Amino acid sequence: MSWKSSELDDLPKGLPEHLEIQRTRVICKNDAPIHTEGIQYSGAYASSGVDNTISFEKFSKDFKIEVIRLTEDEMEFDMVGIDASIANAFRRILIAEVPTMAIEKVFVVDNTSPIADESLAHRLGLIPINADPRLFEYLSENDVPNERNTIVYRMQVSCSKNSPQRLTVKSDKLEWLPEGSKLHEMVPGQQKTFTSFTNNQMEITKTPLGVKHEDITIARLGPGQAIELEAHAVKGIGKTHAKWSPVATAWYRMLPEVIFRKEIKGEEAVELVKKCPVKVFDIEDLANGEKKAVVARPRSCTLCRECIRGNTEEEIELRRVRDHFIFTIESASALPPEALFTEAVKILEEKCDRVLSELS
Amino acid sequence: MNAPDRYERFVVPEGTKKVSYERDTKIANAASFTVEREDHTIGNIVRMQLHRDPNVLFAGYKLPHPLQYKILVRIHTTGQSTPTQAYNLAINDLDNELQHLKKGFEDELMRFQERHNQGY
Repeated sequence: MSWKSSELDDLPKGLPEHLEIQRTRVICKNDAPIHTEGIQYSGAYASSGVDNTISFEKFSKDFKIEVIRLTEDEMEFDMVGIDASIANAFRRILIAEVPTMAIEKVFVVDNTSPIADESLAHRLGLIPINADPRLFEYLSENDVPNERNTIVYRMQVSCSKNSPQRLTVKSDKLEWLPEGSKLHEMVPGQQKTFTSFTNNQMEITKTPLGVKHEDITIARLGPGQAIELEAHAVKGIGKTHAKWSPVATAWYRMLPEVIFRKEIKGEEAVELVKKCPVKVFDIEDLANGEKKAVVARPRSCTLCRECIRGNTEEEIELRRVRDHFIFTIESASALPPEALFTEAVKILEEKCDRVLSELS
Repeated sequence: MNAPDRYERFVVPEGTKKVSYERDTKIANAASFTVEREDHTIGNIVRMQLHRDPNVLFAGYKLPHPLQYKILVRIHTTGQSTPTQAYNLAINDLDNELQHLKKGFEDELMRFQERHNQGY
């Protein structure tokens, strides 16, 4: 006679409920969260007869992506079924390893503004540039700057001596030079150019390259002051300097879950609804005239823990679903946020391949 | 003044191998992989995937020093497999997962654009 637990019908299948909650949820108590580590080991529940293996088939069955909001600059989407380490890897890659273009070298011809040369160069470097970095190559020390790895901008502003007020220099004053550097024209008779552009850069990029936001204040000039400079932008990644980071920021949070352990009725219910700053709870009127508190919008919970402060600690449980991540990406580069995420996945794939293939 | 250049975090210098392997002399089926110019981004993912392998007894990673840009991944396996096999299997599994993820994301994007366009 076989006693395999899968064949005996009246035995409970799967894990007992409290263990299932431990396995799939992070419980956020008043002082700190508990059960924060994910249990990856396939034999973790072997003694209960439950198999915890996560095979590729199981992953493809459980995995789900849902885009909630997509605008030109911002994207919010949900990923269900991945582990926290992958979500964090995407966040780290989006912030530090997706390449963009940013101004690196500034050749100053004339600067009589109140902003020092290096501060001006620093500010110019932080301006987001409207160029698709996938069309450009990296510029290393031995390379010659040409139209495939450099973008040249020129800025020439002056405030006239008779002007009654100060002139604000905004980022639209940066004009793109698709034919390359014009610095050699400053010094009469000099033949050598600073960049060697063979073709017009418009042929590579097809659209004019400007700055992403035209209203960024770079400097302010008083009467009689002027700035004349040429700036070269190159491709880089956020790890070298934050100016090359393509996102304003990228973050994720886990899906919140709010559970009532005890029913909350009447006056307490009304108080509870007032306590929550993001209106997670709502009042439901029962048939006998009583009011009951229900969870209406658990997704907007910010874990401020106002609802479990004080005497309601035992009645409400705040939980996070361990494998459901709500990603938000705010793009600050030429690429839209969905293209940034696709680039991030490609970069992670390349990293995995490099780590594997270079093992001799 | 003593900080290394920022590009050192990801550029592997000439002469050093990206991944090197050292067998542990005292314990059977145990090895240590040193991956140059990588950090928690890859380390945590590889460790997580190794934990999912039933043949792996021990898997961990560390950054020996935050200013030395390399990670050490230590793997002990049962007799059924070797650390190199476990490492290769883990990264191949990760590749499959990431490809599936990318495809899922692109499909969902198309669906979202269509829903959006039909709404107008």
